[in-house]
Amino acid sequence: MSLFGLACSNFKRSVKEYASLIIALAFSVFIFFNFQNVVFSDSMDVLENFNKDYIDMIVQAASFIFGVFLFFFIWYATDVFLSQRKREIGIYTFMGLDNVRIGKMYAIEAFLIGVFSLAAGLVFGILFSKLFQMLLLRISDISVDIRFSFSLPPVLITSVIFGIIYGIMIIKGYVSIVRSSVLSMLSDAKRQEMKNENIFLTIFKVVLGLAVLGTGYVFAINTGGLQSLVYGLLAVILVVAGTYLLYGGAIPFFIRKLTENKKFLYEKERNLWVNNLAYRIRRNYRTYGIVTVLMICSVTVLATSIALKQRYEKMIHFQEHYFCQVTAMHRLDKEQIEKGISEKNQVLYGNEISLTLLNPDVFHRERGSYGIVPCSVLKEAAKEAELDFPYEDIKEDEAVYLSHVYLMSFMEFDPNTTAEIGEESYHVLAQDDTAYLGRLQESMNIYVVSDKTYEKLKTLGLECFIYGFQIAEPENAEASRAYLDTLVEKEGDSFTVGYNMFLPDRGEMAWIPIMYSLCVFMFVTLILAAGSIIFIKLNNDAYEDIERYKILKKLGVSEDVLKRAMKHEIRFTYYCPFVLMVITSYFSVRALGNVMKTELTTVNVYSAVAIILLFFFIYLVSVRAFQKKVLK
Amino acid sequence: MRKIVEVKDLVKGFGRREYETAVLKGISLDIYEKDFIAVMGPSGAGKSTLLNMLSTLDKPTRGQIILDGKDVTRADNKLLSILRRDKIGFIFQEYNLLDNMTLQDNIALPLSLNGEKSRVILEKVERMAELFGLKPHLKKYPWQLSGGQKQRGASARALITQPEIIFADEPTGALDSKSSKELLTSLRLANEEEGATILMVTHDAYTASYAKQVYMLVDGQIQSRLNSKGDRKFFYDEILQLLASMGGDRE
Repeated sequence: MSLFGLACSNFKRSVKEYASLIIALAFSVFIFFNFQNVVFSDSMDVLENFNKDYIDMIVQAASFIFGVFLFFFIWYATDVFLSQRKREIGIYTFMGLDNVRIGKMYAIEAFLIGVFSLAAGLVFGILFSKLFQMLLLRISDISVDIRFSFSLPPVLITSVIFGIIYGIMIIKGYVSIVRSSVLSMLSDAKRQEMKNENIFLTIFKVVLGLAVLGTGYVFAINTGGLQSLVYGLLAVILVVAGTYLLYGGAIPFFIRKLTENKKFLYEKERNLWVNNLAYRIRRNYRTYGIVTVLMICSVTVLATSIALKQRYEKMIHFQEHYFCQVTAMHRLDKEQIEKGISEKNQVLYGNEISLTLLNPDVFHRERGSYGIVPCSVLKEAAKEAELDFPYEDIKEDEAVYLSHVYLMSFMEFDPNTTAEIGEESYHVLAQDDTAYLGRLQESMNIYVVSDKTYEKLKTLGLECFIYGFQIAEPENAEASRAYLDTLVEKEGDSFTVGYNMFLPDRGEMAWIPIMYSLCVFMFVTLILAAGSIIFIKLNNDAYEDIERYKILKKLGVSEDVLKRAMKHEIRFTYYCPFVLMVITSYFSVRALGNVMKTELTTVNVYSAVAIILLFFFIYLVSVRAFQKKVLK
Repeated sequence: MRKIVEVKDLVKGFGRREYETAVLKGISLDIYEKDFIAVMGPSGAGKSTLLNMLSTLDKPTRGQIILDGKDVTRADNKLLSILRRDKIGFIFQEYNLLDNMTLQDNIALPLSLNGEKSRVILEKVERMAELFGLKPHLKKYPWQLSGGQKQRGASARALITQPEIIFADEPTGALDSKSSKELLTSLRLANEEEGATILMVTHDAYTASYAKQVYMLVDGQIQSRLNSKGDRKFFYDEILQLLASMGGDRE
């Protein structure tokens, strides 16, 4: 039989054995293809006016992140496969095959697996591409009719990138086989010896791991201010390092301590599974680390998505609180304007606010637009515009700054802020992003001051009047334009009465919902990846365990007992990263909440529940697969 | 003396009915409490097949094996599992210690899986370690032990549940003579002081000489039986003579 024939028959015989690898690879191809397809599909052309370039850039960036992630994922999956194959292929040395030929055989097999996975991933990717786009746009709240479209570039790009990554892995495996000695190839199956570590080194590792992780948490909690980026980056690095150190130090140490406590160990089936864990965890700590980090990423990404959605909705709400604002240099009749608008549209609310425009030099600044509003007037206007106004009495030396809703902000409000207006200094009580003056707050720095202060400062500037209205159907706003045009007054070159109409046009923010739908997909991908890595790891463990379970069966240990021991062990492999993820995600999500100025605790809880449900399902499948493999 | 195992007319054949080759051709024997039996015979005589039947790992074609009053040839898997767990101890040629736990945990394993109290387990492990001279090695992992220590560990594990009978399949097969001697001395001690009943399969006359009786299995049948009169060296010579008379190898 030729080498190729041998590899082919190997492949055919053990397609089932390779199933987890093929599924993992096909899944990564599937996801990557779909992202590429979004970039190239015609249906997205409809988004042209929603600045498609920008969206393409985001999707490309997401593709890049996925590409990096895929690289590591494929690396991990093929590494596990390689060590498994080495043992089996190693036997061929006894039949007189040399390393080069064994390496070639491995390469051919791996190549077949790659082709098979690529084909499967692409076929499913193409079949589900429409669904994927529909979901993407649905979550993004963009209504576009999507046709089933097929174009070649995404297929080619996906194939090429997958080919490159996977090709590197094949070559890596080939080189590793060619270089390894026959003995090491065969003994890849042999268990590594459990070396007793120096106690001081262990203690150092334990303390270091906990300290690094703890410091990461502290940085995460303290984000929100100007140093957010630095703190965030430090938190990420420290938490990732801390997680690895924890799995390399504290957790094995703890489990080892458990095995030394015989009172605990000899109860139930612990003697079996706790010993198994203690034996494995040192070797598997990288896997646990990867899985935990992936899980933390997934939850954080989901929280990002929800936070983006919440902020986006808040921004929309802020910007569309008034459909139009009339600005006049003299007082107009509010009722009159409302009546005029009512001819074509139903008015929901309207208000009148007096605002004194001040030169920047009054605020000791060189440029910018500044204004002040009297407290009592704003209170009344807020009531009319159905907004809360929590400031009962602003004292004479106090002010409230009216800001607007940001997507994210690294500025924290400092309660000791003061505003210098004219000769006086005012204590800024709060920074408020309620849309009292609507979009005017986006372009002007407006302070709310006490009525007395307003009267005093009024003389320094120019008083104008702002009339804001909201109608029942903002889509029908144009109908009232003709009336609003009649209000416009001009004196020479400058307007004395003018208006601003805010049509619901979310085009320039369309990238935000696309972004959050991408985040949702990233969540799903990451969590499935975490699950499949554990699954692959367990499959590999099962492979090692066959001999052990054979012995146990010979000794008369009943299958029930063995099954229970397996369940406990497998449960630990899923729950341990989960618990660590829950703890860490509390901090990461809080950091995110700080920056996005949103409360995300419920999101954190929900995503943890979603993950545990998914993991429970994968756990059940794993237990079945494990038992089937070990007890057959 | 209480009868522990009763074997009646045991036949085991391989292959389809018309072409059946019998490996065991009607073996009957009784094993009593505190017996220490060695089954000897040339390769292919059916020693291992007999041991597998007796230890419930395999089922005979015909015949009965009564263990603890129950016919194990008719027992279902669940009952067999319970019998194996509670009534039978095994010592294998290749030790079969689990490599991922210490010797102490290995010896404790059968009891800990049976739900025995930790305190009792620790006491029993201690006693077994004493008996087999393993006390200094309890904290070690199998890869840190010599073959002899491993085999003594496996024996301690087999004995710790105080089974009705212990089956040993070529227990000294992989050991050098010194380790063999240590193991066999321990087994004899277990037989004499702890009252353990042992059935051991071996092809080695030296090993067999530690037993109280030797059954010679030839061609699927028990051809002869020797009883020790107490002196091991004398018994060893007797076995060698028997082997010589059968034309077997002197070892």
